[in-house]
Amino acid sequence: MAEPAFAGEKIVAPTSAPDDVLRVEHIAKRFGPTVALRDINMHLRKGEVLGLLGDNGAGKSTLIKILCGFQKQDSGEMWLKGGPYQPKSVDDARTHGVDTVFQDLALIDQLSVFHNLFLRRERLHRPIPFLNNHLMKRDARKALDEIGIDIPQIDVPVARLSGGQRQAIAVARTISGDADIILLDEPLAAMGAKEGGQILDLIDRLKDEGTVSVIMILHNFVHVLASCDRVNLIQDGVIGLDKPTSETSVEELTEIVVEEYRRARLAAHGGNGAGVADPLAAADPLVVTDPADVVERLTAADPETTTDSPADSARE
Amino acid sequence: MAVKSTSGAPASSTPPQGQASKPARGGVAGGLLKRLLTLREGSIIVVTLITLIYFSATTSAFFSVGSFKALLPYFCPLAILAAGQVFVMTTGEIDLSIGAVYLISPFIFYKIVGLGIPLIPSLILTLLIVMVLGAINGLFVAYVGIASFVATLGMLFVLDGATLVMSHSTPITMPGTSILTKTTFARFFGAGTYSELVWALGIVIVLQAVLSFSRWGLYTVAVGGNRLGAAEAGVNVRLVLVRNFIVCATTAGFVGILEAVRVSTATPDPSGSNQILLQAVAAVIIGGTLMTGGAGTVVGALIGALFLGILTEGLTIKGVSANYDYLYLGVAILIAMTVNVYVQRVRTGSGRG
Repeated sequence: MAEPAFAGEKIVAPTSAPDDVLRVEHIAKRFGPTVALRDINMHLRKGEVLGLLGDNGAGKSTLIKILCGFQKQDSGEMWLKGGPYQPKSVDDARTHGVDTVFQDLALIDQLSVFHNLFLRRERLHRPIPFLNNHLMKRDARKALDEIGIDIPQIDVPVARLSGGQRQAIAVARTISGDADIILLDEPLAAMGAKEGGQILDLIDRLKDEGTVSVIMILHNFVHVLASCDRVNLIQDGVIGLDKPTSETSVEELTEIVVEEYRRARLAAHGGNGAGVADPLAAADPLVVTDPADVVERLTAADPETTTDSPADSARE
Repeated sequence: MAVKSTSGAPASSTPPQGQASKPARGGVAGGLLKRLLTLREGSIIVVTLITLIYFSATTSAFFSVGSFKALLPYFCPLAILAAGQVFVMTTGEIDLSIGAVYLISPFIFYKIVGLGIPLIPSLILTLLIVMVLGAINGLFVAYVGIASFVATLGMLFVLDGATLVMSHSTPITMPGTSILTKTTFARFFGAGTYSELVWALGIVIVLQAVLSFSRWGLYTVAVGGNRLGAAEAGVNVRLVLVRNFIVCATTAGFVGILEAVRVSTATPDPSGSNQILLQAVAAVIIGGTLMTGGAGTVVGALIGALFLGILTEGLTIKGVSANYDYLYLGVAILIAMTVNVYVQRVRTGSGRG
């Protein structure tokens, strides 16, 4: 069991529901001296959209990477649809029906739209196993049309597309597969309001169909409340809050974040947190008390920098 | 798409293509030229044609079957070496050991034949050993995590050293060859006039097909274009790297044997083999493969090799003093690459790329 990081910390104990498709217990992960995740307990019900929140560097992306088989946890266990689940690779996770939209989108700029859409799911000719580009183009067009994403040309390199279009393609790649558990790491990061709205509509449609379960990292509380059924908040490497979105509000989520900022500032100035009066609160520009201001700051935040270096991960 | 141009590539130094470029102002030919420029190989094709026309116009002896034949032993080995190197460079890595592999493979072959094993099985065994060398390169790069420049540089010195040790620094007579007559084995593996050309074209066509039309090729581009992204998408990055280093070493080892059979001796001369390494890398880059990875063309590398061949051959026929050879070659490469960059801008500006 993880030790509380500060007095009065709440750690969500392992919970479950009868219709869970995915459950993780006591997941911990560290990178050298940096503790990314201390003790994560979390569950995902069938057909549910779970919003994952947390400060930059809180370990959201690390958790997603463990769930999708890109990284391995140091300790802890996972269950998928009733059986033990320990994906050996992204491919392995995909065969179990778990697919991911990564924060960096995992698109290959030099490859065409349809090659990107079908990367690792290529359609091949027979008997010579050459790429069946014709079939892939047709299926890519069909998949994009079904999802309602408008990409005029699908045989151009994705480098030519706008940030929003690229993001849409990364999402389309995952959604058009056979996955029934979809992990999205900041699917709206590079998108304008209109394109972002399209993706959220898409998630809503998936939710209505009820066959796909989704874990989604978001920064914007309004989006979380609009699209998610339930929200989990990662703080100091544990899930600090687990509530249905109907029972929480932008104000409550903001309050938690403000509190976190306050604590971080105190720690940085050598304070010991609880019990000490907060002399910095008034003078310190970072300790903000207006929730709207914090929301704004969070939604404008830079893409989260994860604790692991990309180069290392690529070698793994 | 890219393979289509293969049929035209070897012929580009023979009359039919040269004539085709004359009425290039016509509508049809103009359209053809525009299409040519939309290919990744387009710019080097244009530059090669210009070089060809220049030498044809300024020297009477250049445009002949004789000089074409004289060109082959220079350009074919380079084309095969470059074809393998394209696979490594498209992933954004480089293999500096191909010259050394080229150097050592005839000596490995010689030792194996010396054990009493017949020629063909010896050749196959040699290629297997060379594949292991490539795999070691790949393992150092993909698993140990050494930069390919350093890992293959180490391999270069190891193999150069091993060659000198194995051969006691003395040349050998290639088994299966004879100075008096051409054996069937020799004819087939390098000594026949067009043997190397046939091997070069065959290898280029196969490797270009793999690069353009297979999953392997797709993953090669993916690994070179966005390594982390490819890994996240589920591509086995390490496997792709190791596999491509194996291809690269195999082609180098095979050329080593072809060349040794062609001249019927093998000389342990590391500086000569490393000269070939640099020319092969030059052919790859001139041909349109990006040093940064993510885009590569085997056919382009072949044309790059052809360009270097035409240049060397042309300078020889023009009677340039041997002392000036490298100087002119270097200047010509720089000029050609400058033209290449401009043509490439036209190409990418024309809507594809």
